[in-house]
Amino acid sequence: MNRLVRSVRDGTGFDILLIGAALLFLIAFAGVPLVYNVLMSFQQVDMFNLGTFFRPLVGLSNYAAVVAQPEFWLVARNTLLFVVGSIGGQFVLGFGLALFFARDFPGAATIRGLFLVSWVMPGLVVGAIWGWILAGDFGVLNYMLRQLGIIEANIFWKSDPSFALWAVIIANIWLGLAFNMLLLSVGLHGIPRELYEAARVDGANAWQRFWHITLPVMRSTIGAVLSLGLIATLQQFDLFPAITEGGPANSSMVSQYWAWQASFKLYDFAKGATISVMMLVLVLLASVVYVRSTRHEVRG
Amino acid sequence: MISRRLTLLGALAMATVSTLTLPALAEPVKLTIWGLDGDNGLIPALAKEFDDNNDDIVVEFRAIAFDELVNEALKAFATNQAPDIICLDNPDFALFSSRGAMLDITDRVAASSVIKTDLYYGGPLASAMWDGKLYGVPKATNTIALFYNKDLFAKAGIAEPPTTWDPLVDAARKLNDPASNVYGITWSARANEEGTFQFLPWIQMGGGSFKEVNTPGAVKALEVWKTMLDEKLGSQDVLSQGQWDSTGTFNAGNAAMAISGPWELGRMAADAKFDWGVALLPTETEGGPRSSAMGDFNWGIFAATQHPDESFRAIEYFVSQSERLFPEFSNIPPRGDIPLPSTGDARKDAALAVFQEQLKYAQPRGPHPEWQKISKAIYDAVQAAMTGQMSPKAALDQAQATIKGIVG
Repeated sequence: MNRLVRSVRDGTGFDILLIGAALLFLIAFAGVPLVYNVLMSFQQVDMFNLGTFFRPLVGLSNYAAVVAQPEFWLVARNTLLFVVGSIGGQFVLGFGLALFFARDFPGAATIRGLFLVSWVMPGLVVGAIWGWILAGDFGVLNYMLRQLGIIEANIFWKSDPSFALWAVIIANIWLGLAFNMLLLSVGLHGIPRELYEAARVDGANAWQRFWHITLPVMRSTIGAVLSLGLIATLQQFDLFPAITEGGPANSSMVSQYWAWQASFKLYDFAKGATISVMMLVLVLLASVVYVRSTRHEVRG
Repeated sequence: MISRRLTLLGALAMATVSTLTLPALAEPVKLTIWGLDGDNGLIPALAKEFDDNNDDIVVEFRAIAFDELVNEALKAFATNQAPDIICLDNPDFALFSSRGAMLDITDRVAASSVIKTDLYYGGPLASAMWDGKLYGVPKATNTIALFYNKDLFAKAGIAEPPTTWDPLVDAARKLNDPASNVYGITWSARANEEGTFQFLPWIQMGGGSFKEVNTPGAVKALEVWKTMLDEKLGSQDVLSQGQWDSTGTFNAGNAAMAISGPWELGRMAADAKFDWGVALLPTETEGGPRSSAMGDFNWGIFAATQHPDESFRAIEYFVSQSERLFPEFSNIPPRGDIPLPSTGDARKDAALAVFQEQLKYAQPRGPHPEWQKISKAIYDAVQAAMTGQMSPKAALDQAQATIKGIVG
């Protein structure tokens, strides 16, 4: 008895207790809802059995119904474009900024810190601000583009099917830029200076130093940034209700907003669950890449 | 030992029995009421008054945001925790009433000396009915009509507001003035319930209904909408902005006409720096069928309530206060027998008279348990046609196919 108490206070028992608590939380708040969601995607759900766990099973018919929706392929294409566009923009601009601020000019650290403002702000606020910036008739962006002579007539960012998705992508790039820059800055900071000095002595130019030193050393950081970016982008929800609501004519509809619309606007909970399970598979793939890339980091 | 335990048990049993029976006679009945937050405080005010006026009843009120109301009600219903009384947006009402979740109050209302159904407008009342039975009572009502800027009309030399669709488009053409940032007209064709709220009346004026959306008149209506957008008589942003933002551009003088509802009157009287008026929604042809949208909420009692009598008394009290709806809460009563007192603003009074006339033609959305899916089919068609992805005819045909799958 005494040994057990001692072990719990300071020993393996304590470790097990800590792990157990963490596991319990994970199972209760991530595991159970996940299983519930997956189960729901194979069930027939209506308002009478909403509160129960076991409902009539319907096999794959929810999946068939989702794929049969006329907008399914449009949503799939939009989601892909949103992910690739957002991550691409965030990563390239974030990397550029990280390299820029790595040059240690006066005030570099302070200005870099200020970039975090965009990351700290809630998505709905960012969405509302971008909603005003991107407004059609009286938006700031249109005014600037007109004054600069880039456009003749106003671009209706939120209401033109060819621009709506890009409007959200632009806002999302701005939102995720700081996070990308920060992680990449940390990675850059970890590269030993001697490597660059040695390369310079050997006559490598800036591009060669970047291509042969920076990129290979940053491999694991880049892998982590990209997979975290993928997860964050697939979870990006707040910007859609605030800017385009998936419109016009579903031209900016992505799967995460679509799932929400099915469940909480059309009250078709099974379909909403089905869409989110389809997305889950994607996020799972990203998580595997993330875990692998960070494991490499620990070993290296 | 044993005897002591027995006495303890006995005492416990006595205590249980007494808590179950004796004080229950004196204990007031608890009624839970759920309603929308906002709305000028109407629902919480009435709930509190009913609580204060009745010593035998305690009211527990819960204010819920508009977007959460149906989801909360569904969850509560599924887990047997539904409130006694709820106030639901009228197109959502059938989701509950059609499936036996709401109490059938047909006989109670027939016997009531307070609630008289023949006084109500047809539209609001129909939204509370299902299968010939009454499941709720309209709380208030609203509709949409055509606002117009009298100054800009005079400048363009147009004497009267348009009464049919083609002259509406002509008027918009004449009033449209891109050089001075003035659109001919503004409205909302947004991809949500608001878009359907605005377009369904046009389907109905075109001889259709929510079950039949591809009549020739409905196709003509969508062609009119598309023309107004294609010729830039309205902003491209009608596709994404709601009625509130849309009418804001009218108030700022950036649109000469606006399709919107009486909830705008207060803001318009304060913001608009010009003379304005309201006209009935233009019909397809002169003297053709009229229609308009119908908004606002219905009171209903959940069938699972333990206190149907007290709940009905509460609703009778709410209805008995109908004369205060407009002066105190800016809600328009859902019945024609209550004259609206003058607001002290001649333009507002004139506008209200038009809205009360328009209310006679207002039709509910549905009622149908899967209204939101029908609604989506309609606004999807509007958006597909207006963005040029489909022709108006093809878009409405597709919507009709979807709706047919829902209503059978």
